[in-house]
Amino acid sequence: MKDALYERFQKKWSQTMDLPPQTVGPLTPYYKMVTKQLKVMPLPILFLLSTALIICLFFLIGSGITFLTSLLQRGF
Amino acid sequence: MSDALIVSLYSFIRTLVGIVVRPYETYRRIILKGTSWELLFVGALLSVYFTVNAIVKTPAFRPFVLTRHFVKTSVAVLVTALFVSWLLWIVGKCFGGKGEYKRFLLGWSYTLIPTLCWFFFTSLLYVIIPPPRTTHPTGVALSLVFLTISAVLFFWKIILSYLSLRFGLKLDLVRILGILLICAPVIGIYSIGMYRLGIFRVPFL
Repeated sequence: MKDALYERFQKKWSQTMDLPPQTVGPLTPYYKMVTKQLKVMPLPILFLLSTALIICLFFLIGSGITFLTSLLQRGF
Repeated sequence: MSDALIVSLYSFIRTLVGIVVRPYETYRRIILKGTSWELLFVGALLSVYFTVNAIVKTPAFRPFVLTRHFVKTSVAVLVTALFVSWLLWIVGKCFGGKGEYKRFLLGWSYTLIPTLCWFFFTSLLYVIIPPPRTTHPTGVALSLVFLTISAVLFFWKIILSYLSLRFGLKLDLVRILGILLICAPVIGIYSIGMYRLGIFRVPFL
């Protein structure tokens, strides 16, 4: 019983330690803050981000956005 | 074998839901416990798209032409998927990556799901509202919606690609960015080659 428990612990430990921790130097706290939102149900956040990006693109290139859409629509 | 297939089908459906709802945990599970049978179901989904694509793109409903288009697209996507995964694997190993290619390939094959979604969505829109888009307010509104959905699928693809490299090769962010920096030009040249050959306009990566 003790050996089985220890084996399970060892297996879990090796799984956890197999992956190097993610560090980005001084930006690590901001990285952790961003990825925390993306680990579970990222699509709503991605949708908000994409909407903001596309609206910025629209203000940048105006109705040129229709040309980009026509290009991509033929892209499949 | 039928038991393995049924278990793999359940695992595949569960993974499909997981990559939408909990991509991080799902990818950890794919790399640790995924089976190669799941590649079969990914292939089946892709085949459904190739069939739809052949029907939409081929002007005449002729079996030979449709079959030729289907086979051409299938082979091209298979070669592309294997090439890109192999390239990332080799470069990842040079960057100190660890793991099995089989597991990495399984993780990478699930990154084709956002690509598939985009191609399905674009094919559907091509049939319902074919291009070109005009500068009329409805044209601009539709363009905004289309580009927003495309951007969502693109970012989702990036997240899944990152997770497949993180868990498949056990690398950190800096090394993953290094790998992508090296592989991006090669994949770019490959995509241009595919465009020149008339196989893909937007690469099926």
